[in-house]
Amino acid sequence: MEKNVNSSGERKLECGDVNKCFQLLERILDGEDCDGSKEILKDKLSKCQPCFEHYHLEQAIREVLKNKCTKQAVPGELAASIRQKIEEIK
Amino acid sequence: MSEVQKKKYSDKEKNNIFDNEFMPHIDSMYNFAFRLTFDEDDAKDLVQDTYLKAYRFINSFEQGTNAKAWLFRILKNSFINEYRKKSKQPSKVDYQEVETYYNSDNVDYNITSDLRVDAVKDMLGDEISNALNSLAVDFRTVIILCDLEGFTYEEMAKILDIPIGTVRSRLHRARNLLKDKLHSYAKDMGYDADED
Repeated sequence: MEKNVNSSGERKLECGDVNKCFQLLERILDGEDCDGSKEILKDKLSKCQPCFEHYHLEQAIREVLKNKCTKQAVPGELAASIRQKIEEIK
Repeated sequence: MSEVQKKKYSDKEKNNIFDNEFMPHIDSMYNFAFRLTFDEDDAKDLVQDTYLKAYRFINSFEQGTNAKAWLFRILKNSFINEYRKKSKQPSKVDYQEVETYYNSDNVDYNITSDLRVDAVKDMLGDEISNALNSLAVDFRTVIILCDLEGFTYEEMAKILDIPIGTVRSRLHRARNLLKDKLHSYAKDMGYDADED
């Protein structure tokens, strides 16, 4: 995975195993930490451009999903209706 | 859930669990139900049925365990058993085909390299929502559970009755499908990576 690292310390432009790396980054973003995940993350983000981009893209998608897809208004009478049905079966 | 249950909770305890551990999740439950059924009345019925089942089988709920995950599991099962048939969404048929296609190794990077963070951040709620809703129900569900509701992989495995490895791979494929959809929206919005 270390091919294409250039000597000036810039990020390499190609990732040696995108599938494996991206899945790992997604797990880390999901809070499913594995051994040494902090170090792995730091290493990938500083050394690999595709990993860096993928991580930030995934992070942005998670944020918009969380902010824009959880605001479905619950019908006002639903809770009362549930309570009433529960009283009936008690 | 077994029909035969030991009596475990008093009426007072049952009400206490129901009010303090079950009802606070009604917003999340409704959101999940609506994203499964795409219909307000079906979503209401599904949530109501779930809460009635939860009350009826309350003795099989272990106090101190994750009530939200327990409720989501009941809702998901009710949806599969009773609502899926009548809902207007496409059936599960396309799932295998899509899963096989997205299992190929080179798909990920091609999508990612064309979709940019600023395009995603500029998207409207409707676009994000439509992209999510366009996914087949099994893919949509894992994204809802993980990203909208914050369940862990282990909780998702229990809710969905699938192994944790399947949760992981299904989620990865769901994210690729979602990015693919978002990418077409980004192109429509005028974001084109080729122009950089």
